[in-house]
Amino acid sequence: MTDQEKLALLEETFEMDEGSLKPEMKLDEVEKFDSIAKLSLIVLMDDEFGKIIKSEDIKALVTVQDLLNIMTKA
Amino acid sequence: MINPMDLTGKHVVITGASAGIGRATTVQASKLGARISLIARNEERLKETLDMLDGEGHRCFAFDLNNVDGIESLVKNVVLQGGALDGFVHCAGIGPNRPIKLTKPSFVEEVTRIHFFAFAELLRCVSARNCANDGASFVGVSSVAAVHGNKAQGAYAAAKSAMTAIVHPYSKELAPRGIRVNTISFGMVETSMYKGFLETGGNNNELLREQYLGVIPVEYAGNAICFLLSDAAKYISGGSLNYDAGALS
Repeated sequence: MTDQEKLALLEETFEMDEGSLKPEMKLDEVEKFDSIAKLSLIVLMDDEFGKIIKSEDIKALVTVQDLLNIMTKA
Repeated sequence: MINPMDLTGKHVVITGASAGIGRATTVQASKLGARISLIARNEERLKETLDMLDGEGHRCFAFDLNNVDGIESLVKNVVLQGGALDGFVHCAGIGPNRPIKLTKPSFVEEVTRIHFFAFAELLRCVSARNCANDGASFVGVSSVAAVHGNKAQGAYAAAKSAMTAIVHPYSKELAPRGIRVNTISFGMVETSMYKGFLETGGNNNELLREQYLGVIPVEYAGNAICFLLSDAAKYISGGSLNYDAGALS
């Protein structure tokens, strides 16, 4: 999956406008990245990439790029 | 000294006996004198539960209840080996949270299958004439989510609610044989489901604000179920007992 595809997947999951998510953005500044979005991310990582991540793993991510980096198959 | 919750001489069948509420109920029931048939997927964890029990005559049956069509022969086998039953408890279940967007049909099916489809089929099979003794007590583990689900609990809440609904008609149908059918609605109990809640970002402060008596220790959940299995609960049927540490108040 390319970074573009990953960004599109995230935008869809977090219900954000197409093209609004950029790799350099800080996650804590993304308004739509709320507790429901974080839960959706955990489910997404399992469904799409076979990876089980926890809430503390999410806390360790700073930028959107950090998130893109973990979106690889387990 | 008397014990109104005495289960001596009763054959009780418990699903989900390998962990959590199922394990705690199995342990408590054994201490109250019951003879138990333990059902769960994981044979190793079933054996661990077996080692914790008082008394004798307990049996383990490794079975995946997602195989709903196989439940009829499972129950026949349990009764063949252990005799007719006096109690049945369905503790097997999962507690996955998903927001509406990710609650796709396959997920709804998965959650509904283990909680409700399995429960409905187990009730149908254990209530057969030669399977359950008169005066038996059937219990399904439900949740406050059935009436008061939180965000991301859509599928779970619906599945639990179905369990709670089915016991009303079944209680009326089985009353002539003195058989009682109930669910018990728990708030958050201290099991791996609670751990999962915290690990997926569940807000503990918010939880404890609603469930102000605290997270329920698993032995207490087990005892509450044993109460429903016992003669002390003889006049409780066709409904859901709230054991929710304040969550619904």
